[in-house]
Amino acid sequence: MEARGRLTRRSLLAGLAAALPAPAVLGQDKAKSKYAGTTIRGAAFSLPFHQYLQNYFPEFEAATGIKVSFDIQAFPIYNQRMDLELSTGGSSYDVIIVTFIYQNRWIGAGWVTPLDEFTADPNVTPPSWDTADFVRGVEASMRDAKGRTYAYGVEAGAMVLGAARGDLIEKAGLSLPTTMDDLIKVCDAVNGKDGVSAWTADKLHHWNWPPYLQAMGGRIFKNPPQNLTPMLNTPQAAKSASWYANLITKYGPPGILSFTDDQAMQSQLSGRANMRTNAITWAAPLAKNPNSTVKNTVRYGMVPAGPAGDFPGVACHGFGIPAGSRQKGAAWEFIKWALSKEMLSRLVKEHGYPSVCRRSVIESEPFKEALTLNGQDVAALYLKVLDQLGDGAYMRYRTVPVFPQVGDKINRAIEAIATKQMSAADALKQAQQQAVEAIRMGGYKVDP
Amino acid sequence: MRANRIIIHVLAIGLAALVLAPFLWLVRMSFQTNADIFAFPPHLWFSPTWANYAALWQSEFRDSFVNSAVVTTSSTLLSMLVGVPAAYALSRMRSRSNALSLWIIASRLAPPTAFAIPYFLAYRDLHLLDTRLGLVVIYLTFNISLVIWLMRSFFENTPRALEEAAWIDGAGFWRALVSVVLPTAAPGLAATAILCFVFSWNDFFFALILTRSNAMTAPVAVVNFMNYAGWEWGRIAAGGTMVMLPVLVFSLFVRRFLINGLTAGAVKG
Repeated sequence: MEARGRLTRRSLLAGLAAALPAPAVLGQDKAKSKYAGTTIRGAAFSLPFHQYLQNYFPEFEAATGIKVSFDIQAFPIYNQRMDLELSTGGSSYDVIIVTFIYQNRWIGAGWVTPLDEFTADPNVTPPSWDTADFVRGVEASMRDAKGRTYAYGVEAGAMVLGAARGDLIEKAGLSLPTTMDDLIKVCDAVNGKDGVSAWTADKLHHWNWPPYLQAMGGRIFKNPPQNLTPMLNTPQAAKSASWYANLITKYGPPGILSFTDDQAMQSQLSGRANMRTNAITWAAPLAKNPNSTVKNTVRYGMVPAGPAGDFPGVACHGFGIPAGSRQKGAAWEFIKWALSKEMLSRLVKEHGYPSVCRRSVIESEPFKEALTLNGQDVAALYLKVLDQLGDGAYMRYRTVPVFPQVGDKINRAIEAIATKQMSAADALKQAQQQAVEAIRMGGYKVDP
Repeated sequence: MRANRIIIHVLAIGLAALVLAPFLWLVRMSFQTNADIFAFPPHLWFSPTWANYAALWQSEFRDSFVNSAVVTTSSTLLSMLVGVPAAYALSRMRSRSNALSLWIIASRLAPPTAFAIPYFLAYRDLHLLDTRLGLVVIYLTFNISLVIWLMRSFFENTPRALEEAAWIDGAGFWRALVSVVLPTAAPGLAATAILCFVFSWNDFFFALILTRSNAMTAPVAVVNFMNYAGWEWGRIAAGGTMVMLPVLVFSLFVRRFLINGLTAGAVKG
């Protein structure tokens, strides 16, 4: 009994030993004591990231005592449901994917929780978690005007040029095109060779066309998100739309105008079509998919530049916490774990996950190995695209609340031009008028 | 005359082929591998595979299919149970005003989107989100008006003398309804039940808004095969075929009633 109150050397050492575990374990223990027994409910769309991550949920549950339950839905379903859930102040979910196309809407309306209160507190988030490690351009769209962060990136869909039959281009004595003029030259040289169309694309022109619009000096909106006046009836837009419509109809496989995303990818995987510009998630399977017939001929490059520069599209989705969540602390523990350097490194090492948003992981050897595709360092290409995004300014058009409506007008205009129903100028003039109406209906002002 | 009949038959077969073509294409695709689905030019002959159905049955689609079956059957039975007596009462009402009937059909006049947010909020507060009961209730509210409107016209075409004769013979009110009136209106009952079944089974909108994962129905589960990084066409086709199958089988069994029911009173002034 006497020994109980005495501070002996042995008890001191034992106490020190107990107090000096690794920081990560310390964090987990803290979380375990605080949130053990809590169940957090999450929602995500069917991203490869999530498919990989859920294999490790038992580890998180064992370390923290927090149970995790996720609803996984198709992308369009997820967006519909989550928009309704958030707009009605729902508390059904604690962790969600803040979808790229809804970031401005959800963040701007205050439907998502600012994460700074968690990251600023070293007792909650150790400095080693390193928020600055997330690529700047990726995070830019997940911040508000005051600089508060509402989500951390789980996937960055950086657009690259994938040439399924790079060998045909080399055989023609050319290299991967770096400019839009080069692209047409290459298309002319290889189109139809070996029965392969030079180009392919899906019908989501509002994603595929803007890089070429911007490369020719055009833009979608005047100055998003402050000024959402559409800029579709400009000479640059007409020139670019005409160029793009010609690219897909002259050099694309039969039926290209009705291609879904999947059909466009299959046309490349089967070797029916050669080049396409799309996010890395769709480009990597050309070298990695077991059904790919072009594993040994695929080449990767940057999206071809125009007179105004190159503007590869980047779509970033992040983990966030709904404003209505009642388990915010536990939800943050989950996000902190899921997006830690260690976990992302494991996803890269064990699953070859290609769309990481942390710079330290992107620059690591395992990532380079995972993204060395047919002998090419695509990891470096990926980082170059993300760096080029800078502060994300040129992709802001994609995150404004009315973009889905305006994007729909763009799709119809490009179809009308490609099918020669209308001239580029007329189609875009019509798209401009329709876009103005849609934006005004959305409650936003446009310049007279 | 003979030539005319041949032309009519050929036209009918051609029209049937045209109408059935998308369905046959879907069924065909459900037995193909991804490579066959995307083969260009498309293969006429291929080695059929059950892989898509097997994969479907190992996924959450199986539970969604059960959800669909439970919710649809329950809501159809309940709608008939509540709606048929109501329709009978309305058909025998002495008032000539249609105001009450109009109020009943009002729930079907507005587009479903108009009800989405009120229902979502009410269901959230009542903890009915993502429950089978919630879906049964919603389909019930929409189907009852359909049952009342359809069955009312069937009952109005049933001679009152029949039930009056039953009463004179000593049958009570319910006995006359069950033993005399309902058998006379059997084609109408079958047609109405099928329409309720089809509406509930095929509903996508309310199932999308009001369910998550526990009560998700088959039509929504099929869309879940449209993954972010690619659509699983084989499973989508297999799921689509599975979703169509019960309605098809049900309709085949009761098609005689369906035709009689839908054309009953068609030439009555």
